[in-house]
Parts: sequence; structure tokens; C-alpha cells
Amino acid sequence: MQQEQVRQFVERYLASFSAHIVESHPDYLTVKLPVEVDKDIGNRPFYWSWVEKMNIAYQPLVMTFAFHPDRIPEGKRAEYLHLGAARMQQIFASTQKHGRFLCMYEQKGGLLGGTRRSTPLVPWLGLNLKVSLLCDKKRDILLYLGINLHNPQVVHDFTSFLFSLPLTPTIPDYFYTLDRRITVPQALSMAEKTVADVLELEDQTWAMEAKARLQEELEILSAYYEELARREPESAEKEEDEQEVEENVEIIPEVEAPAAPTPPPVEQVQTFDEYRASGGRILDFLRANGIHETPKEEVNQKEWRKSTPDEERQRRMDELTWQYEPRIEVQFINGGLFYLSTTPPSNSTPKGRNTSKSPVSGRIL
Amino acid sequence: MPNIPLTFDTSWLDPLAERMQEDGPWDKWELFKLALEAEEAMAVREFDQLQSLKYLPLLSPFPHQLQTAEKVLLEMRGRAILADEVGLGKTIEAGLIMKEYMVRGLAKKILVLVPASLVIQWTKELYQKFGIAAVAQKKEYMWRQHDVVVASIDTAKRDPHRRHVLDIDYDMLIIDEAHKLKNKRTRNYQFVKEIRKKYCLLLTATPIQNEMDELYNLINLLKPGHLGHNATFSSNYVEGKRQSKNSEKLREEIEKVMIRNKRSDGGIQFTSRRVQSVPIQLSAEEMALYDGVTRFVREQYHTGITGGAGGFNSLSLITLQREVCSSKEAAFMTLYNMHQRTAENSVMREQIMELVEMIKQIDTHSKAAKTVELIQDINDKVIIFTEYRATQNYLQKYLHDHGITSVPFRGGFKRSKKDWMTDLFQNRAQVLIATEAGGEGINLQFCNQVINYDMPWNPMRVEQRIGRVHRLGQKRDVHIHNLSTVGTIEEHILNLLYEKIDLFEMVIGELDDIVERLSLNHSLEENLIQIIMDSRSSREMALKLDNMGHAIRAIRQTQARTSSPLSEAADQ
Repeated sequence: MQQEQVRQFVERYLASFSAHIVESHPDYLTVKLPVEVDKDIGNRPFYWSWVEKMNIAYQPLVMTFAFHPDRIPEGKRAEYLHLGAARMQQIFASTQKHGRFLCMYEQKGGLLGGTRRSTPLVPWLGLNLKVSLLCDKKRDILLYLGINLHNPQVVHDFTSFLFSLPLTPTIPDYFYTLDRRITVPQALSMAEKTVADVLELEDQTWAMEAKARLQEELEILSAYYEELARREPESAEKEEDEQEVEENVEIIPEVEAPAAPTPPPVEQVQTFDEYRASGGRILDFLRANGIHETPKEEVNQKEWRKSTPDEERQRRMDELTWQYEPRIEVQFINGGLFYLSTTPPSNSTPKGRNTSKSPVSGRIL
Repeated sequence: MPNIPLTFDTSWLDPLAERMQEDGPWDKWELFKLALEAEEAMAVREFDQLQSLKYLPLLSPFPHQLQTAEKVLLEMRGRAILADEVGLGKTIEAGLIMKEYMVRGLAKKILVLVPASLVIQWTKELYQKFGIAAVAQKKEYMWRQHDVVVASIDTAKRDPHRRHVLDIDYDMLIIDEAHKLKNKRTRNYQFVKEIRKKYCLLLTATPIQNEMDELYNLINLLKPGHLGHNATFSSNYVEGKRQSKNSEKLREEIEKVMIRNKRSDGGIQFTSRRVQSVPIQLSAEEMALYDGVTRFVREQYHTGITGGAGGFNSLSLITLQREVCSSKEAAFMTLYNMHQRTAENSVMREQIMELVEMIKQIDTHSKAAKTVELIQDINDKVIIFTEYRATQNYLQKYLHDHGITSVPFRGGFKRSKKDWMTDLFQNRAQVLIATEAGGEGINLQFCNQVINYDMPWNPMRVEQRIGRVHRLGQKRDVHIHNLSTVGTIEEHILNLLYEKIDLFEMVIGELDDIVERLSLNHSLEENLIQIIMDSRSSREMALKLDNMGHAIRAIRQTQARTSSPLSEAADQ
């Protein structure tokens, strides 16, 4: 994302909330944050819970965003915004929170010929998905699916098609919607099938390599532990002998007591941020969620013991699987219902499948 | 893809169904687009391309740092020993790797274990350079509450903390100064071994200090069994404690888990050091004081050693001897304290009073005057190092009287005050007067002029002083001005450190090693004290110092010849 695009993005974001721009300078932007924006990026949950609880008028935050690291305005508390800035990530998260579900209708311009005949609109489910291929590395594939709910069918690059249409949030006059013949869960199954088809065509090398690496590491590991068992069958006693040579401070307590049971995980009802936002005290939250401070008398260094070679081996194997095992995650970015009179091109595969780097939004980020 | 587990996010089904039922509330078209654009900006399009750089526009890493990050990511799969020589930016490499995994969503829960003294510095650096919101662990709940935690290993290994740490699955574990884990029987080693981790970075400038086993132990922490069982490793690779065999094969194996960039590799451009002695002629009165104090110190030192009555401890005498080389103000404080502790009417008290009287007579400040001259000539930012608070205070006043702005810097300052002073120095004042070279993480690379107002007798301290400005990121040659008062011990010391052993050309590790080998029991500093106190004439002293210089040179040369294949292997 170039700085010019960062600026445009931020301006569009603020405009969607009708923010009051105090000053717009080529190098920076001073803005009075609207309530929703303030709550998302203002970092003051306590203030908001207080304002809401006391039902008082809030003081809007005024922020200055600078877009060039070398040209920060003097005498203003400006912060430099760029793709990696924490604030920018908050803004991204805010768009994702407020740009999740849509319902739009195609608005055919003009109604030529003055026909007053009603026109049907076909219901589509638009789904923007992020497919992540994961092992010790990661790659994302973005899919923009459109699923015809009236006449079941899936098309790719649906969202870029949407961008070319005049859309409106309310159903225009003289249009009516066709009924949905399949449910959203059924559409989801079609989407799942489509994702599987896309993955089938993807290069599988990454997963095979990851599996081979995992296998190799596991073999080294078992060879090592087998040798360990062969050479040091009574490793525990041997270690103890060796320890006497060590200086006192560093000696590991070799106590056979079982490891202390860890406190049972208490179900987390809400996240800390939510809790704080609702005005709760931190301490109460911690107590309620079992993150307790251990009383001094319970602190006992001796309860800990070293893992046995078997436990160690198992742990290491789990770590390797965790690190290398190939897996795929499909995440929902956003989506919604679109009632269209134009039929989208029926792309059966995503555009430029492997090298798909051009964003559908048509903007180079 | 066949046989690869796939999870499909369906958390959106219910909220969407609800909205369809209620016909709303629906989001805005523009925000929908923006959300998509954000996702597109952050999507990872390639398996094998560094993503983190586009998130770090203010960071300009060196090529070797980027290569290291790439190698750890692509070839070592996120488990590596980063063993660059001092000053090549291991922290930057670790930060890059960390950021990369975070950006890719592969690491969220991260633990950074460092010596207690570096916790704050790490936290700050991760935030400032990498935009990573790391917290310094203080309270027990923080282990779970925060994603990126920086803690001292000594805290983490103790209950109740240990239980939390061993209970969490860490996506990434980073350990700084990892050579402290060389002994596998220590509690620290065992503790680290028990931590569950996916990716792991061990940072150390000295992967092998004494024995081959140390490297074996480090690697076993990272990848148990990579070098086989200890016994197999020994029979395959170890000839003697510091000797390896099958070096080629060993090197290959080590390369798979360790990266060591060296200054000598080239590509890493360090600017030059330009060292200059600035001789200072003392005025007659100043010289008389110096001689008087020197005589007094030696007499007392020998009385003390031979068990004579009323002797001062040798430490304060040596301090006095050093102080008088620095400034009369520094010497005055010590004399005053000594005066308070001697009996009334004693000979000693009289002697001290005489010296104090001499100080009062002096109205020249040869060293300070020369310094002002020097600063005016330099006409740029200057750091002055002195060992003594009294000298520091006095200098600040003296510079002020001559229209030169300066700020003080002391070890006792709180971190925030140190930062504030650094900031003042960078933006407002011309001179920083520091009594300590330490202060890890204080970046003074914007300055390239150092004045050693007095010389520490411990060469390591000199190196630390210079190291503050002569490091990666210094863009200009570094000028070092050593003030040396003619005809004093200072002159001799400087002669030894600078001319005989080329101190200023050495790197830190090398010096350390030499000092260690040269004097098994005494430090170089103690040797110096002995020579200075025991020599009956300044000629004798010069001769002894000269001999010492030769000895050091000799060691240095043998060392260059006998560097073992092992350290070569490690150095690859």
C-alpha cells in the first residue's frame, strides 16, 4: 500500500462515518472522530463505558494523521499512518467490523422506453473468502464467490462484477425479487465444494514438501530417543550423580512428586476488552476467569520435576506436527445478498488462478 | 487437496440468517469495499517472500539481516541459532523474523526471554522498530493476558510464573544471550527445554566459549537429536575439548541450524575509527599537585601494605591517584573525605591539608581549557566521557561559562531520564558529558566525536565507551580524542592501551579473550595498579608497562595462528 493509497483509504473510511475533517493538508489530516470510529480506534474503552453509564455528552477525540514520515506537522500531536502502523491495523479491523454483511439491489438506469413493466431481480449470495494454506509457512488465496440462490450455480470473481453495477440498498421501484430456491446453508455447501475444486487445481508441492520435512524430522527424533534409551537406560540416577558436581544454586530439584495439577481452565465468557468496555474492574475479571495470583504458601519450587525422556519425546513430536503438518483454513471476509437483473459472467475458475494478484476492488493496494 | 485437513469458517451463518429475517441492519457498501481492500492489502500472496518489510517503512535493515531472516524462514523453518558477532544487529534479525511470522498469522503467542537488565530495552525496541506491542512481564496475570511478553528467564523459571509458562503453547520462543544456557544441567537449561514452542530463536554472539559441548547443548535445545546422541556426537566430531574432527561434515550440520555473520564477511560497512591523542601541558601548579598526590598515594599505599598504622585502604588511594589525572575537583572530594577520617594533629592530616592548599592555589584548568578549544574546533555534537561525578559537574559548569551547552548522563539515571537526556543532546545541546558507557540501548549514533577526558584503566570500559557511537548505523567516521596530560600516569596508560596493544582496533570479544588468557588471576586493571604502585621511578614504570604490552601482543598473535577448526566451523 503506497502512502497515497493509505491516505485515500483513511479518507474514504472517515467519510463513511461522515467524520468532520478539521483540516486537510497535503501532508496530514486532522479529524474529529465520530463515535463509532472513536470506539474502534480511540483506545479509550474506560472513557466510553463511563460516558455511557453516566449518560453524559462525550468529548470527541481529535486526531491528526500524517502520511509522510519526514513531514510531520510541527506543534501538532500527529501520528504517522502506514500499512504497518498499529492505528492502521485498528482502522482495518474497524472496516471489517462495519463492512461484514450487505444487502443490495441492482438499479437499472433509466427504464428505457418508459415501460412500466416490472423487472425480476435474481437473488445471489456473495461470499468473499480467504483460503489459507498453512504449514510452517503460509499462503493466502482470496476467492470471491457468487452463488445463485434462485437457480443454483456458483461463479467466481463475483465481487469484481458487482463493482461494475449500479447498486442501491433499497429495492428500486418496478422491480421485484425472485424467490430463493435454496437456503444459505445449502449455498454454503456449494461454496465448500467450489473451494475444494479450486484447491484440487492448486500446486500441491508445498504440502508434500511439508509432509516430507515432518517425516524426516520425526525420524531423526526417534533415532535420537532410541539411542538415548539404549545408552542411558537409567538416565535419572545418572543425572543425579552428575548433579552433585554442580554448584548448589543451579541444581535442579530432583523430586519424584507428580507435577502439580494446573488449575482447571475456567470458561471465558467474554474477552477482556469486552469486559473492560462494559465497565468491569480488572481485578474482578481476573478472579472470575481464574487468572489468579498464587498465594505465597502455595509456591513450592520442589513440585516441579523434569520430564522423562518419553514425555520429552512426545512433546517434541507434538511440536513438530504443530509446526509442519499441512492444513487449510477458510475464513469468511464478508458477504451478503445481492439482487441482480444482470447475469454475471460464469467464470468457472478464479481469474489468474495461481498468480492472482490483482485485487478485485480494482485498486492497487 | 487430498488428505489435508480443512476447516471452513461458518461463524457467519447465524448472524447472516438473523439479518435476513429482520431485513437488517445491513452494513454500508463503501465499508464493505474497504474491508475487502484491507484484506487484500494484508493477504500473503507467496509462500517464500518476506512480507514484513511493507509493514515497516521506517526500518532499513542491512542486507545480511534480510538474508538471515529469509534463511531462517525458508531453510531453517523458524528454528535457528542467530550467532552474529557483536554489533551486527541480532535483535533486528530476530525482530524481522518475529514480525514476518506475526504478519503471516503463524505466530501470535510469543515469549521473549532475556537477562533482566534487557527486558525494557527489548520491549521498547520491538515496539519502536517493529510496531510489535510487547509488554514487559511484571504481574502474574500478564503471561496469559498479553500475546507478546518479554521477561527475564530468572523470573520465568520460578513459581508461580513457571507454571504459566510451561502451560502455554508458544508459537514462538526467543532467547537472548543464549550462551548462558550452555550447561545442560542448569535449571535454566532444563526449564527452557520444557517450554512448548513452535518456532524458536536462540541469540548469542558466542555460541562456543570453551567447549564443543556448549554448542551441542544449544542445538539440542533447538532441535533435539540434530547432532545425534551426545556420545555419537563426541565420537564423530570431537577430538579434544576445543578441537573438532570431520570439520566439513560438522560445519554442514551446524549450518542447518545456525547463522553467524561476521564483520569480516564484508558487505557490512563499518566506518573507520580515527584515534588521536591530545597532549596537554600542565601548568607548574597543576604539575606540583599531581606530583604531591602521587607521592602521597605511594607512601600511603606501601604503609598500608606493610601493615603500617592508619593506612587508608588501597582502593581509595588508587581512586585518588586516578582522580588527580582527571581533575583537581575529583581529587578534592576524596582528599576531603580522607581528611575527615584522619585523627587531628596527625602527620597524615597535615599532608592532606597541604594538598588541599595546593588545589586552592591553582587557578588554571589546562585540561578543561583544551577541551573547550577542541569542542570549538569540532563544531559538532561531542560526547565527553569521564569516570568521575565531580569532574562531570565541574565540566558542565566550565562549558556553560564558555557558552557551550551540555547535558549530563549518569548510570544512576532512570531509563526515562536517560532517554530525555539523549533527546536533549540530539536536539538542543552540543555536548553530552557521561560518566558511564553502559546504558544499553541508548542510541548515540548521530554523534561521531568522542572525547576521553580521562582514561579508565580497564580497557573493556574504553571499548564500551566507543561502542556507544561506533556501531551499525553510524554513518560517519568516528573520531576519538584521548586527552593525555604530559608526564603523568595517564600518558603511560594511554601509551600502553593505544600504541602497544592497538586497543582501539580490536573488537570486544577479542579483547575479552586476551585479558582472560594474559592474567589467570588478576585482571589487566589490577596488573596496571601493581605496576604503577610498585615502580620506584617513572622509567621503571614505563619499562614494565612496555613488557606488558609485548606480552599482550604475543598472545594476540598466537591466538590468530591457533584458532581451532571448531571455532572455524562455528564461524561458517
